[in-house]
Amino acid sequence: MGKLLRIVARRLINALVTIFGIIVLNYVLVRMMPGDPAVVIAPRLPGYEGLIDSNRQLFGLDRGPWEQFVIYLQRTVTLDWGISYRWNQPVAEILMRDLGWTLLLVGTATVFIIIFGMIIGSYAAWKRGKPFDLASTGLGIFFYGMPTFWLGLVLIALFANPSFRPAWWWPLLPSQGYYNVNLGPWAWDWAHVSSALQHLILPSLTLAVGSLAGISLVMRSSLIDVMTEDFVLTARAKGLSEQEVLRRHIFPNGLPPMVQLIALDIAFVIGGAYQVEVIFGYQGIGYRTINAIYDLDYPLLQFIVVVGGTAIVIANLIADFILLKLDPRIRIA
Amino acid sequence: MVATETVLKTRPVSPLQARLRVATRRVRDVWYQIRRSYVAMAGLLILIFFAAMAILAPFIARYGPLETAPPCNALGQLCPPSGAHPFGTSFGNRDVLSQVIWGSQVSLFVGVLSAIVASVVGTAVGLISGFAGGWIDEVMMRFNDIVLSVPWLVLMIVVAAMLGQIDLTGLILVIGLTGWSITARVIRAQVLTVKERMFVERAKMIGSSNFHLLARHIFPNAFPLIFANTILTVAVSILSESVLAFLGLSSPTHMSWGRIIDESIDGGALINNNPGWLVVPGLGIVFLVFGFYLFGHALDEILNPRLRRR
Repeated sequence: MGKLLRIVARRLINALVTIFGIIVLNYVLVRMMPGDPAVVIAPRLPGYEGLIDSNRQLFGLDRGPWEQFVIYLQRTVTLDWGISYRWNQPVAEILMRDLGWTLLLVGTATVFIIIFGMIIGSYAAWKRGKPFDLASTGLGIFFYGMPTFWLGLVLIALFANPSFRPAWWWPLLPSQGYYNVNLGPWAWDWAHVSSALQHLILPSLTLAVGSLAGISLVMRSSLIDVMTEDFVLTARAKGLSEQEVLRRHIFPNGLPPMVQLIALDIAFVIGGAYQVEVIFGYQGIGYRTINAIYDLDYPLLQFIVVVGGTAIVIANLIADFILLKLDPRIRIA
Repeated sequence: MVATETVLKTRPVSPLQARLRVATRRVRDVWYQIRRSYVAMAGLLILIFFAAMAILAPFIARYGPLETAPPCNALGQLCPPSGAHPFGTSFGNRDVLSQVIWGSQVSLFVGVLSAIVASVVGTAVGLISGFAGGWIDEVMMRFNDIVLSVPWLVLMIVVAAMLGQIDLTGLILVIGLTGWSITARVIRAQVLTVKERMFVERAKMIGSSNFHLLARHIFPNAFPLIFANTILTVAVSILSESVLAFLGLSSPTHMSWGRIIDESIDGGALINNNPGWLVVPGLGIVFLVFGFYLFGHALDEILNPRLRRR
């Protein structure tokens, strides 16, 4: 038991070190971008020259790099994220507004990916070498290598563009924004919710396809690995039904690799979300990030990178702990 | 007994010759397995198709990548698909088919070279980290975790912005220097298992230097994995290139597939009724990446049958 505690403590310390590293790297990266935010934000009009200096003072960019770093560290630790240069609002407030929509998009896609990826992968492993397996594996590799933004554009062309749509085709789907803006500000009524759900179909599908393929491929190979083990043969030999072999011997041993993969996949879904949000005008965190980079909006960008990175670290940590619970071998080794 | 006599009758071989012979035999074995694998052959055929397209581009493309075709109508609108322009024309009345053919050169070049950069860095990190162990391993792996945890698109854009002007070299560096983390992890895991093998112990026992151990025992045993991994990395790099181009980060003097797609969005390919401008370069990326994945995946299975994915 003491050993288990040591492993858990080690993982926790590693995660903390990694988060601290992200905080430091974030500061360095953001400030190594060329350009001066004080200049970028000031209007390029005569009479505004004085604004650049006052901006610099306001943002604290006139201080030395070490002093700025210490202030940045203090603020990060106390969760005081400052005020966006571009939007002149507290960073936390801006992102809280965006976060809901991004979580809806990423969450829908992730649930879809996990459920269907595992079902397709298990069925392919079960029917190894049969047509379903060959088709799903081939298509899986095909879709895995599809650029997310291009897939989004093609889906828009097929489902949201009246000029190419044959008459018998699927009804037109909306492809821009969170919901129909003609409905007015957001309210929890049926019109808004159904509109939001319709607006969710194309972006979440785009986001899900690549990772879905990845998950199903790994699920398949992980299960096939287990199926060739001796204990499965033993289980069959002692007369268990196929169902029971699958439920009691194959799944419990095939699932641990999936846990870690799903945690790693979250980073890729977040990466895909940037592209999807730009293509579909879905103004969540990804959309905000791309703009923050172009605007050199340090506080906003720093916050996004730290929160995104920490989320990935925590997801991996949770995966590690689940693995520790699922796979007794790690506890001994 | 017969075998010993044959060996004795042949002329003595130098160590280099011996190693060459072993290597040739190994390559021949792998080639035999590749020929038997449908997946590997399918991937290889796709790759040969695109390599031929890239090499023969000067002969098969009717127009240059940035060359303007004669206008099709008095209004100066883009040409619709026709015999002269199978996929119509794009910005500045350029022939889409020719652009796509030339684009294969850029995408392959950037993809392969940045994968090599990523593999060299990743292999170096993985070898040193796995072999040295201790605090060196600890520091390198923590750094690797950090790089993996910073959202990769942000990392790439920031590195691109740091390099300033984006040309092909810049792109290769951005993609290569941000894409080595997974390779490093895979190589490190392989080094950790090779390190425990008996022949390494034996070499250590007779006093081999660390360099000798790495160069003669560990690297050659990790090499097949490195090779398969590099091919998979090419696929990822081609995708990264297209994403960067989509965000406007592409070389202004070269037409990659990603840049053609990016221009097709700005130029309203769908509104102008020319879907080929958007679809064809995208299919180029999809099939080229598909080819690399198929081949890399099959090679991975041939070269390390006992590799357990974690």
